[in-house]
Amino acid sequence: METSLAVRFLSGGMNIVLVLALAPLFEGILRKVTAKVQSRQGPPIWQPYYDLLKLLGKEDIESGESPAMQRFASWLSLAAILTLAVLVPMGTSPPLSGAADAYLLISILTLCGVSTMLAGLAAGSTYSLVGMSREMMSLMTLEPLMAVAVVVSMVHTRSMRLDAVLNGSAYVQAGLPLAGILMLGVAIFAFQALIGRLPFDIAEAETELMEGSMVEYSGPKLALFKFTHMAKLMVYGALLVSIFAPWGSGLPAPLNLLALLVKLLLLVLVVTLVAATHARYRIDQAIRYYGGLLGLSVVALLLALYGF
Amino acid sequence: MSAHVALKQIAERFTPVIQRTDVPDEGRLFLYVEPQALREMCRYIFRDLDARYVVGIGLDDRPVSGKFLVAHDFAFDKEHVLCSIMTYLTGNPPRVDSISDLVPAANWSEREFRDLVGIEPVGHPYPKRLILPDGWPDGVHPLRRDYPWDAVPPDYDENRTFDFDNPPDGCVVVPFGPFHPTLDEPAHFRLYVDGEVVRGCEYRGFMVHRAIEKLGDSVLTYNEIPMAAERICGICGCVHNVAYAQAVEQAAALTVPPRARYIRTIMLEIERLHSHLLWVGLGCHVLGFDTLFMQSFRIREPIMWIAEKISGNRKTYALCVIGGVRWNITPALRSELMGVLATLEKEWRAVADAVAGDRNIQKRTRGVGVADATLVKEAGLIGPMARAAGVKIDARRDHPYAAYGDVEFSVITQQGGDVWARLLVRTLEVFESIKIIRQCLDHLPEGPLQAPIQDELPVGRFGLSSVEAPRGEAHHFVITGENNRPRRWRVRAPTYQNLQGVPAMIKDQQIADMTISLASIDPCFSCTDRMEIVDLRSGAHRVYSQEELLKLARGGTRTP
Repeated sequence: METSLAVRFLSGGMNIVLVLALAPLFEGILRKVTAKVQSRQGPPIWQPYYDLLKLLGKEDIESGESPAMQRFASWLSLAAILTLAVLVPMGTSPPLSGAADAYLLISILTLCGVSTMLAGLAAGSTYSLVGMSREMMSLMTLEPLMAVAVVVSMVHTRSMRLDAVLNGSAYVQAGLPLAGILMLGVAIFAFQALIGRLPFDIAEAETELMEGSMVEYSGPKLALFKFTHMAKLMVYGALLVSIFAPWGSGLPAPLNLLALLVKLLLLVLVVTLVAATHARYRIDQAIRYYGGLLGLSVVALLLALYGF
Repeated sequence: MSAHVALKQIAERFTPVIQRTDVPDEGRLFLYVEPQALREMCRYIFRDLDARYVVGIGLDDRPVSGKFLVAHDFAFDKEHVLCSIMTYLTGNPPRVDSISDLVPAANWSEREFRDLVGIEPVGHPYPKRLILPDGWPDGVHPLRRDYPWDAVPPDYDENRTFDFDNPPDGCVVVPFGPFHPTLDEPAHFRLYVDGEVVRGCEYRGFMVHRAIEKLGDSVLTYNEIPMAAERICGICGCVHNVAYAQAVEQAAALTVPPRARYIRTIMLEIERLHSHLLWVGLGCHVLGFDTLFMQSFRIREPIMWIAEKISGNRKTYALCVIGGVRWNITPALRSELMGVLATLEKEWRAVADAVAGDRNIQKRTRGVGVADATLVKEAGLIGPMARAAGVKIDARRDHPYAAYGDVEFSVITQQGGDVWARLLVRTLEVFESIKIIRQCLDHLPEGPLQAPIQDELPVGRFGLSSVEAPRGEAHHFVITGENNRPRRWRVRAPTYQNLQGVPAMIKDQQIADMTISLASIDPCFSCTDRMEIVDLRSGAHRVYSQEELLKLARGGTRTP
């Protein structure tokens, strides 16, 4: 399925516009539902847009040990998440699928975590460094998890092409897709951690570390990080959906997008409810939890290798 | 056993060194001893008689006796006796044998009278500045009688910084405070951290010491002090209000009308209700569990409203005058309060059940911040801290005051001494408070709200009063004095003792557990001293000096 360059640019641009436009809306829904669970009125559903605009309009203050790195980290986080958006199918097939393979996907996923670590390093305060070390520990156990999920799909499809991998590849083989189902479970349980939400917002942990890596951020740079945080929910969600729940993506143009948005909305509701009913884990407890998931995912990989 | 029996036990060993004894009633014992016998007697009472250390008090008594006075208060909880061991000191500077090596719970008390009154505790294991601000010159003691209440020493040095200890080898210092989002009030823990593990800490607090005790013995009068006392704490103010009034009443042998005693009990329990609900909320917030935080505050709100209906205020009730109370509980208020309690009980039952079965909360709280029965004894920990470690002490039952002698309730204890046990204790105590208020409302006696006081209060009498605050026992020590005000009024808030247990509780724990461990004592520090102004146009920094801030703060409102 060779598509022309123009179409690819167009659909890539569409993905970016989609993420830029809708990520704060999903965040707004999340906040509103959280408020309802907590017997609160909650902010208006558009509040995240206002928040971002307000932060973007503020003075850009240089602070911390290394302002240049601080600036770079915030741009990197945004760039990474938007590149990821271009690689993940949202309605259409992955726009850049011809230009990249599944390895790139895994590397860019890592970059998101790296940007947070750089942010912590740039601030150079004790709290940001503790936040950074926690981010690093999480990264080291979570990244393999994501990688295994993609590799399982690669094994199933015998391909590294993104359009093949990111299209319900978990269930392509005949018979009961044991590996796919196992990986789906792992991915759902790890999702909260991947997007850095409670009970796994350990690297920021306001009440322990005063936002950890983010401690020196304010104004536009903080807006970029905040946006990345919101976009993670949407982009990682789309990734999860395209590997494990592709149903409806074959529908004609506006309907397939609609199907994706409905699935994302359901995912947001699950994320909200989990976050609202759990206390934050300690880093050692979280690592043990990730370790368990990692073990399961390796089992899934073995199953996939033997054709299950 | 009563005060007389306790006295007999002590007298058997110490008769030659006891100068004078005073037993005003069965629950109070005052002993005057020779200074050289103080150490041994305190050791005997603390170790052999197993009394609990309450607080140490220093007093400049020179205008009356020409001497200084040191008192150590102990509580015989099982025997229902509060006891004060006092000794007069001559010499300048006055010196007294330190008891902190024998009675670790006395550590802060002795450092406090060293700072404020200038009585040197000889042989103190850690005689470092505790209360006075960093810039305060050595050798100036603000609580001495000849020191004016509103004076700042001329050689006050704003630029002097606190001399912190060196961290142990291999540890980095993580500053926790002076301002931290979970502290709400300024306090500084310098944590010595090895990786993610806390190996020790140094505490520097008292950053906003407001010298309320000094005001009490030099500016305010008997009936003004309850107002000031209430403002010691933003959450359990009524406790201090009642404790002070009771201490004066005991010293002056005043009888409080029964209706006033019942109303005091009701208001104290209302305060406990809102305080425990507040704590459960904040504790959950620290753990990142905001849903229960919000629900807890929603359930709490009607309690604040009924308190406002009774007293005119959500929080500062201004309840007590010497000899009685200000506010009545009318039949209309009574039935409304009953309704609030019924809803509260139902909703809180649901919360308590949900908490008890929550594995996630247990994961973060079990085995965290452990204070076992030994630490409770050594550091003199009280309230839910002690009860969570299985130590069954509660001033309401052990030293009954107000109407607590007339009501039935259980003292909730748990085993384990960790944050989880404290959470359970506080959650369950809510039901006991509801029970107490209901009994008081059912048997609310008729009669006056205040005892008439015709004569001036007698001078030079001693009063001790312990009130079970939500955080533990609040203890007030009063010596009545001239000019319609006490000669000395010493307040020991529960956090004063509980905070001394924190270094042992957080040692060798994860740094992530620091906040909840500290929060689990329900700490109550108190607010703010310096700020920085940045001129945006010129980019110039300007730090307001303490003096300028004081001028700004007091501008136009300062009263003589």
